[in-house]
Amino acid sequence: MKKLATMALAAVIASQSVLAQDYEQRRRRLIEKMARVDDEKLHYHSIAARLWLREGIPGAEKKLRELLEGGISGDMFWMFPMTAIAYLDRGQLSDSARALMRKSWKAYYPFRGDTENHWLLYYTSMYLMAQMWPEMDGEGWFNGKSSKENLEEARRWIESWVKLTTTKGQGEYDCTHYIGVYLLPLSYLAAWAEDARMKKQASMMIEWIAADFAVESLDGIYVGSHARTDDRQVVEKWRGVSADFAWLLFGQGKETPPFGGYSLYYALADGPEPPAIIRAIATDRSRPYTHLEKKRTRNRWRFNDELHGQVYKTTYMTKDYAVSSDQGGVLQPVQQHSWDVTWRVDDPEGVHNTLFSLHPYSGMIELEEYFTFSPDFGTEAVWRSKTTYDSPDKLLGGSPYEKIVQSEDAVIALYDIPPGTRFPHINGFFSKDLEEFVEDASGWIFCRGGRTWIAYRPLAPYVWKPIEGGGRRLFSPYLKNGTVVQAASMDEYPNLDAFRKAVLALPVKFSLEPAPRVEFRTLRGKTIEFAYGQTPRVDGKPLDYAGWPAFGGPFLQGKAGEPRLVMTHGGVRRVLDFGTLTVSESRAARTK
Amino acid sequence: MRVLVWIAAAALCAYGEHRLHALGVTTKGWVVGAALLPSGVFVKKADGAWVNEGYRHPLLTAMAWLPGKPDTLFLAAGDGVIRIDSQGRWRVLTDETVTELQDISAGAGGLLAFGHTTGFQVSEDGGATWREISAGLPRRYGKAIRLDRLHRGRVVIGTENGFYVSDNLGGSWKPAGAAGFQAMRVEQSPHEASLWLAVTQKGGIFRSTDGGRTFEATPRDPAAGRNLYDIAFDPADARRIAVCGWGPGVLVSEDGGVTWEARNQGLPRPDVWSVAFDPDKPGRLYASVHEEALYVSEDAGRTWRVDGLPGSIILRMAFVPAGGAR
Repeated sequence: MKKLATMALAAVIASQSVLAQDYEQRRRRLIEKMARVDDEKLHYHSIAARLWLREGIPGAEKKLRELLEGGISGDMFWMFPMTAIAYLDRGQLSDSARALMRKSWKAYYPFRGDTENHWLLYYTSMYLMAQMWPEMDGEGWFNGKSSKENLEEARRWIESWVKLTTTKGQGEYDCTHYIGVYLLPLSYLAAWAEDARMKKQASMMIEWIAADFAVESLDGIYVGSHARTDDRQVVEKWRGVSADFAWLLFGQGKETPPFGGYSLYYALADGPEPPAIIRAIATDRSRPYTHLEKKRTRNRWRFNDELHGQVYKTTYMTKDYAVSSDQGGVLQPVQQHSWDVTWRVDDPEGVHNTLFSLHPYSGMIELEEYFTFSPDFGTEAVWRSKTTYDSPDKLLGGSPYEKIVQSEDAVIALYDIPPGTRFPHINGFFSKDLEEFVEDASGWIFCRGGRTWIAYRPLAPYVWKPIEGGGRRLFSPYLKNGTVVQAASMDEYPNLDAFRKAVLALPVKFSLEPAPRVEFRTLRGKTIEFAYGQTPRVDGKPLDYAGWPAFGGPFLQGKAGEPRLVMTHGGVRRVLDFGTLTVSESRAARTK
Repeated sequence: MRVLVWIAAAALCAYGEHRLHALGVTTKGWVVGAALLPSGVFVKKADGAWVNEGYRHPLLTAMAWLPGKPDTLFLAAGDGVIRIDSQGRWRVLTDETVTELQDISAGAGGLLAFGHTTGFQVSEDGGATWREISAGLPRRYGKAIRLDRLHRGRVVIGTENGFYVSDNLGGSWKPAGAAGFQAMRVEQSPHEASLWLAVTQKGGIFRSTDGGRTFEATPRDPAAGRNLYDIAFDPADARRIAVCGWGPGVLVSEDGGVTWEARNQGLPRPDVWSVAFDPDKPGRLYASVHEEALYVSEDAGRTWRVDGLPGSIILRMAFVPAGGAR
């Protein structure tokens, strides 16, 4: 037995070594691709990549001078590439180029921004640059503060963010794009912070975020719900920074352009490969599982008693598909995506492998809650960078008039829209890539995406409208409305008719007056009772929002309010404890 | 009362000439991270040209200077209180917990106070140290703040739910009016210290004649239901006041804020962020029209012409006594 265990351990170590080698290969491939461009096409990221490779430096320095002397812009999005360049310099740039960089931190005033991802980029950059130039007084910095003051202020902010995130959940949670904007600065701190505590804290946060992603990764695609995604990624789910990181960190999916450049900077900072247990969580879909998470909203400045609202997430994951949701309502002001079914495809590029519905809400009070701009200009200010925010056809955003419940792979979304609300209708997204599609006389819509059967029951009449780029939009102009959705795998039902019969046999009762209400027995044998505005009940028991875990499922566990994440997989238990700033890993004794 | 008027007038005239400062951006469609055309502090020079001073900063919402010390300016900025000294050096005076300032006010004896996203803070040493004064407020969004220029310790603030007044520098607060309406701005008359004016989001214009203790809605308010953003008392005429907003444009009162008249003839759109009377040129009034330009009137708003800063969003304007600010 002892010999067997030793052999098994050796095999695990060997496989980890191969995976690690793969990670290094992917990392280097990314850097080389960015560095090896013509001199005239260089930009900050390719300059940084050349510095990492220690090649093509004269061209890189020439371009760096041009960029710094040609008018700096970008705020914190300028700060983070400059920080990478400064730390990757390692004596390769001339003294005059270095002096030019130093001067630019005085001559240019980068704005701190207004969201947590802005602030983490800003304070990470300030921390590291103040650390690099520790003796500068306020005259050397755009903000008039000395290096010592800047370093200390940045440290305080970063530590407060870590504490907030590990006890109350991430604010910009589970984002297809912004995951990169968090992993990048953390990789910088893990690599370049001199303070051991800061370094450790950052490397632990990388694990925290990577694990958070891994458990909701369907072959590299971040499944919903998301605090923020965008118009393109919400339907072509692969097209996001999260896919870059799935490829880089887990070897999942396919190599991406990369979409935001954040994975490149992570690679340049020698960002660590996640430990084997996180890769295992990302890739093990041998058994379906339900995973719960508790997150928080971003800062709600106005019209709320609490600075952060609670977000209760449910995700059901299988090897073929995932169903994920939050509880509905406005949890993020602009780019929220509340629920969807995502099915796996071999090659996700150009594929809309998702289905969902929403009320396309747009409202100034909502914006004023989360932003400080003036009311008359607010909608336009958002619209300028988030172009569909005020569109009735949009497929992105949360609504105060949407309430959601999920049990395993069944979702019920209810809508009760007050008369006079802007955009008083429901949009349902039906992908161009659905392969079978039947509007049944029963009122159910049956369809297939990949190896996933989906049953969709609209609760009010609808019409179909085309979607630019393919697919069709279920448009329902009824204010009291709803959707019942049930998914299943092709492993369970050999054809659409078998699935159809199984769903039609399920009891479903609903009413829309005075408020939407549904009672539905799922394919998994659960009875969901859900009335708009009331706590949902599953098998007669109300959902326990008060006891909702920070992480709850077979792979990740954590109690809300406790800065501790437990990862379990294959007998391995790894604990991130931010209270003691320790990481521990153990292997449970095998039992028959 | 005559003594008060005399003191106020003397204070205004002590520096002779003033320079108009404008805070804003000239980049249409700017978003965080994008390139900025000139932004931040603009100063109107003697030859009429506008000059962008100091750093480009996209979010400056208000400015103040300590009485008698206009060579140092204090800006309410997106990332804190910024002090600009007589050498033009910038320094952020607040820490990482302070964000997106909405308003700032200065008083005698080094007194400064600001409102931001999570409350109000005061400094009694010219901005070197700050303390929170939001305790006891039901909601803390710090939209507007003014230190009474005569009564040290009295401060009027505007939150997301109306106005509040304190007589002990924020030690305790009393509701002062406009409950249910988000405050947008509050100002004290430079002529008569007991007269205050406040404007709101959708609630219209409110007026106080008891030193800011209670604010009453203005009868026949032409701005009710719209959003007002700024207030300007005419230093040359105790009865003339201007307010501005989106929809109403520029409204002028010639009777101390009792009745109001729209004066938008010649403005390209009635969407105005800020108004300011020129203390050196009686009847001259400036108005910043959203993404159009800064406009100027020589007859208190009856007619207008373009002054400069095309395409700009100028959130606030202020006349700073010359000899101080550059």
